[in-house]
Amino acid sequence: MTTETHSGVSDLLGAWALGGIDDAERAMVEDHLRTCITCENEARRLASAASWLAVEEVRPPPSDLLARTLTAARRRRRPTLLNTLVQAYETQVGSLDDVLGGLGPVDWRRPDPRHGDVRGLIVHLTGNDAMLAADVDARIAAPTEDDVHGVWHEQSRLLMARLTDAGAGSGPGLALDRPARLATRSGPVTRHLRDALVQRSFEAWTHRDDLAALAGRPLGPPPPDQVRRIVDLAVRLLPGALAAAGVEYPGGGVRLLLENSGDGEWTVQLGTHGPVERIVASVRADAIGFTRLVAGRRTVADLDPAVTGDVGVGRRVLAVASTLGCD
Amino acid sequence: MLPGSTDVQLRERLVAGDDEALAEAYERWSPLVHTVALRITADHEAAQDVTQEVFVRLWERPEAYDPDRGALRTWLCAMTRGRALDSIRRRRTRDRHQTTAGAAHLATQRSQPDVDEVLTWEQEAKAVREAVRALPDPQREAVRLAYFEGHTYREVARVLRIPEGTAKSRLRRALANVAHRLAEEGILER
Repeated sequence: MTTETHSGVSDLLGAWALGGIDDAERAMVEDHLRTCITCENEARRLASAASWLAVEEVRPPPSDLLARTLTAARRRRRPTLLNTLVQAYETQVGSLDDVLGGLGPVDWRRPDPRHGDVRGLIVHLTGNDAMLAADVDARIAAPTEDDVHGVWHEQSRLLMARLTDAGAGSGPGLALDRPARLATRSGPVTRHLRDALVQRSFEAWTHRDDLAALAGRPLGPPPPDQVRRIVDLAVRLLPGALAAAGVEYPGGGVRLLLENSGDGEWTVQLGTHGPVERIVASVRADAIGFTRLVAGRRTVADLDPAVTGDVGVGRRVLAVASTLGCD
Repeated sequence: MLPGSTDVQLRERLVAGDDEALAEAYERWSPLVHTVALRITADHEAAQDVTQEVFVRLWERPEAYDPDRGALRTWLCAMTRGRALDSIRRRRTRDRHQTTAGAAHLATQRSQPDVDEVLTWEQEAKAVREAVRALPDPQREAVRLAYFEGHTYREVARVLRIPEGTAKSRLRRALANVAHRLAEEGILER
């Protein structure tokens, strides 16, 4: 970069931000912005100011435009979230299946802190998966054999076939807001299919990690988008769980700033009354660590969060989050 | 206003094909997008078409938005302005003989938006109004020609009979002034 290009470009930044330059100049400016942090900062600031220019008086669109826009959008690109969620689930199931396939008779009897042994763990998982299978009307034959892995595997296969057919539009459709049960420590809770699918892949991942931990192998983190969906789900479940635990601050919220793979910002509503109007505490922590806390595999102390504001409330939210899992 | 999720999270959900994320983006930014579109087109129908186009486009190609290069709102506004100017150009070629009395109608028609949303937007709009009003006349005029009428800085120079270098620096200083005022109001980051 020469000083000449730099000053040539910086002179143009106002015109660039207002869209008032020709294509060749725009290409030159944007090339330069990739290499010059000073200009990039100014450009960002000016573009941001430009985006406000027309907002001298706010004129929201008529209320029926939302429905028209969504209809037009869905016609142009089919919503594919069901596919995305099913694929993520399938990946976790495949990965758990691989680990189970490698277990010897001794491994199946290894003690598990929550379910007696590995066998008990997979029986527990099979029971939770069966709930989703029933909720999506998957045809699952009653287990006839004593092979715990085989029963789980066959049920997963049939469940996955039902889900992928629906995702591909070749089987009976499945709306993501269809009622479906989530497994919790205090029994099933009815939410929506979108939540149940996120929870199924979360549980498959968690149990694969349980097996890795028992075998002394390293834990494998899921992809960042899946981590964020798990956090989204936890954030949706928290207001009810907090209210049940007696934590209700109407209008209050806790900011959750999660870092590293799966990073993002979330606002946890403190209780079931009304939208969040003020943030009473901020919690900064590792994103995957937070999901392991939700799974009940980490304590708040293990997570080692940085809490600011009302520290007591921030830690209380984390303590309640650690009870959301189903073991 | 407390945003529920970041631009990165929203984009990721759109990429995953989550149409609820589109509804959320629409709830959050449609007042802004529609305002920009209406201000430029001065035509209710065109402003609604532009608003719809902008959100349909966001849904069709969410990958086109790069969070590393700025906020989603900035990106949406830039797209809105482009589409609104296209809409004006199309209209001009379509009916050169008809006069557009759009602007005169605007004051009489209003939609019924959510009250809290509007309060926030109204405060921001007031700050923007004041920031723009505080600009020296030559700067404000240059911005009007470039942003709202879609002229390049060279055309601005010609219309105002000033050197191109002056046009460039007026636009840059005008935006820097607006940015400074909006930062003081807490609307932009300092």
